[in-house]
Amino acid sequence: MNGTPRGLNRVLLTLIGLLFLAAGALALALATAPAAVRWWQGWARPAADQLSGLAARTRLPGNGGSWIWIIVSVLLVLVVVGMVAWVANQGKGRANILADEYDEDAAPGSVAISGAVAEQALKDALAERTDLVGATVTTYDVHGQPGLKVRVLPRQGVSPREVAEDVSALVEALDVVVGVRTPVLISIGAGARSRFTRAERVR
Amino acid sequence: MMEPPNDFMDRIVRRETHSSRAVLAGIAALIISLLAIYALLEAILRAVGQPPWLVDPLSAAYALADLPAGISPLLLGVLGVVLLMVGLIFFLNGVLPGRRARHTLPGGRAAVVVDDEVIASALARRARLAAGVIPEQVMVVVSRREIVVNVRPTSGIRVDEAAVRAAVEQEIRTMALTPEPAVRVNLSTAGVIGV
Repeated sequence: MNGTPRGLNRVLLTLIGLLFLAAGALALALATAPAAVRWWQGWARPAADQLSGLAARTRLPGNGGSWIWIIVSVLLVLVVVGMVAWVANQGKGRANILADEYDEDAAPGSVAISGAVAEQALKDALAERTDLVGATVTTYDVHGQPGLKVRVLPRQGVSPREVAEDVSALVEALDVVVGVRTPVLISIGAGARSRFTRAERVR
Repeated sequence: MMEPPNDFMDRIVRRETHSSRAVLAGIAALIISLLAIYALLEAILRAVGQPPWLVDPLSAAYALADLPAGISPLLLGVLGVVLLMVGLIFFLNGVLPGRRARHTLPGGRAAVVVDDEVIASALARRARLAAGVIPEQVMVVVSRREIVVNVRPTSGIRVDEAAVRAAVEQEIRTMALTPEPAVRVNLSTAGVIGV
């Protein structure tokens, strides 16, 4: 439910994968096929000569460096910055505000409800249940609209349908209290805690 | 009260039932960053006219151009295979759908997504009660389109396969999973002694 850029992840992973595949195929071909070796040396040797010539022509006055290394450095810095930005965008999208409305008729001014209201209320209500080992409630900002994610971890053997119905009822009660119907996702899962604690035998 | 639009919820459910590839994206970004930082170091050393740390960029380009020379073919081949494997992992993760082991339940007010593990343990409990065996004798495997219930009966006590199947199917009907899986019950021919 978070704002991880999934499309970008897919595209970049595919591109990086193709890059590695090409490099690997080239190395394997050079190690095994003489025809590939002839083709590679016929192409790469002049390319390296060209690069060397370019470096010689763009020599900086004084210390023997060249402009192209500065250009290459700038490009590499851009690559690193891009990679950092890519990682920083994973898992974004937590929000604090559950509802923010400016209503003319009821109260004067604008009313904002913090996400913590829903999070605390649902968490407290779920903490009482013995058939759950854990529950977390988080508010997310999905394309500018707030949404709630309720993650519950039932004990082994508990019917997910009953848990879903009970949590849905709690959410409906919350709707009445808050006065806004936010989109809610109930995620019922198994974690290490539900896997290693004893199964519930009696209900 | 405003009802959230339906395609909005569909989108959220789709995102919950498919992998985001966030972990692999981090690994890929780390690898590319490290390579770029090393190349950056050598490029800057070259630009300011200092001696290289490991190899200067032009010598590296020539070494690459002369490639089968200067390295043992075995090492080069192994390197190629490793690069191919890494590339294949990244490529397939980028292209494959990446469904997570989850099903959706019909929810009235909220969208409901359930891990297959939870479904399996609930079904195992039902199957265990119907068969009258202990938890260790039942194993349930839930996949996207099929649910397999394996029961190892206690030696000398017959387990009613139809009853187990009926109990499991009834439980699945009340769950109304999407996508709907088919049920298969396997009774082991070898019994268990001493339970």
